[in-house]
Amino acid sequence: MHPWGKFPRKSFVDLGVEAIINALNDAGMQWTDIQAMVSGCFIWDGVGGLLSGHSIAAVMGETGIPITNVFNVCATATSTFRAAYQTVASGEQDICLALGTDISPAGFLPIVGGENPEDCDYLRWKMLGITNPGYWALECRQRMERYGTTEVDLARAKVACSKNGALNPNALYRKVYTVDEVLNSPMVADPLRLLMICATRDGAVATILCSAEIAKRFTSKPVMIAGVGLGSALYGDPTARLGLLAAPPKTDVPMLSESYMSSQMAYRTSGIGPEEMDLVELPDNSSWHYLQYLETLGFCGPGEAEQLLASGETELAGKIPVNPSGGMACFGEAVSAQGLLQIHEVVKQLRGECGERQVQGAKVGMAQTYGMLGNSAAAVFKV
Amino acid sequence: MDAKKPRAAVDGLFTMDPEEPRLIGGKCSSCGSYFFPKFYQTHKPTCSNRGVEEVLLSRRGTLESFTVQHYPPPPPFVSPRPFVPYGLGLVALPEGINIIGIMTGIAVEDLKTGIEVELVLETLHQDEKGNDLLSWKFKPVD
Ligand SMILES: [Zn+2]
Repeated sequence: MHPWGKFPRKSFVDLGVEAIINALNDAGMQWTDIQAMVSGCFIWDGVGGLLSGHSIAAVMGETGIPITNVFNVCATATSTFRAAYQTVASGEQDICLALGTDISPAGFLPIVGGENPEDCDYLRWKMLGITNPGYWALECRQRMERYGTTEVDLARAKVACSKNGALNPNALYRKVYTVDEVLNSPMVADPLRLLMICATRDGAVATILCSAEIAKRFTSKPVMIAGVGLGSALYGDPTARLGLLAAPPKTDVPMLSESYMSSQMAYRTSGIGPEEMDLVELPDNSSWHYLQYLETLGFCGPGEAEQLLASGETELAGKIPVNPSGGMACFGEAVSAQGLLQIHEVVKQLRGECGERQVQGAKVGMAQTYGMLGNSAAAVFKV
Repeated sequence: MDAKKPRAAVDGLFTMDPEEPRLIGGKCSSCGSYFFPKFYQTHKPTCSNRGVEEVLLSRRGTLESFTVQHYPPPPPFVSPRPFVPYGLGLVALPEGINIIGIMTGIAVEDLKTGIEVELVLETLHQDEKGNDLLSWKFKPVD
């Protein structure tokens, strides 16, 4: 990985190259061992960014391998991982590299693609000025009214993540927060405060996937991919979907239906359910996400997430440790790289290389990402 | 000097009726789904036709949720200076569609879910010549 942060003097190529070199060193491989590559970058880098894999392969040295560029917004990185998994699992190639790299603007992520009156994303900025936290706040308030979620519950999500991040040398923000500190941070989109929302940051992660046979050559303890999932939304999803102006809610459809679908697919393909998971990296874009995803992924029933969090069962020694890395709360979000950061953490945990934040005895773990307009991907790992 | 004339900040989203403005949505004649804006279609997967007719959506609905944004959004939104925190509401219309709109006619501290609101047109900002550019907003019904 390339560390998370703001790097105004670097390009997405610089970040991607460094991430690849670090991954090759970790695996004990050379660039010329890589037989295929799937790459994703966000929208800030023109044609070079659309073709991020090709841009980065040019720097690494062109070898003529198949390169696919993937764009699935915040689920981009996990989508590159799924495609790389299929490349190897199908038998087409033995060694495939998945890359996610991102340089984002500071602050609220602005509009992309000009003033197109038939683009809902333009209209939501132009006519409403609704920010991403604005959408999340609309959902969060409904949750508060439905289940009695309190501000303290929301603050606890940040506190829990910050305790883990403090133990992670890779984390960008390593301060342990108290509930009071979170509740005294400035209000951004009521009821969400500054410390309940993740920042945007830059970063890159490369992951090398290979067949079980090949893996034996490079390591005595490979981490196995148990299953992957990729989901899109269901008709009638009640979520006020980020980037749209309207939602047609149907009562029998789960909210964040794309995430429900991707996690269900990951459970089905892996044969491993939430009750067997030793840890999960979930997308804590906001404190609302932290709570909602515990339910969407099936770690508890509707309205039970607050209690699960308050009981300490999502801490490192709990029943289901959540975001042992510290999550987005301690890294910020590098949109098109975030999913692979989660996978990086799950793999490190299953290898037992996480030092003070190690989840003891971790054998099975899950990474789950969320993106706008009905995008979500997941992966389950085991040793 | 020309008289200042209000116009829509973006055309085609609502009628310019000063008394009873309506959002211009779409409805599928086959599966019955409603859309807003009308170009962003969401049909039932089993829809047989995917045809769309233009419809004017109900003016009144129920406030399902709301937020108050405390920081100025980035362009193209034009914020007043100095910036004043403003409310955004999620409004359920009888057609079975939820619409997001800026809240007006109520102090942000007084916002609460469950109240009945109606659509009005109000100035979003002014153009360089001082003409009012309008958007839809939701206002509590007295
Ligand atoms: Zn239809």
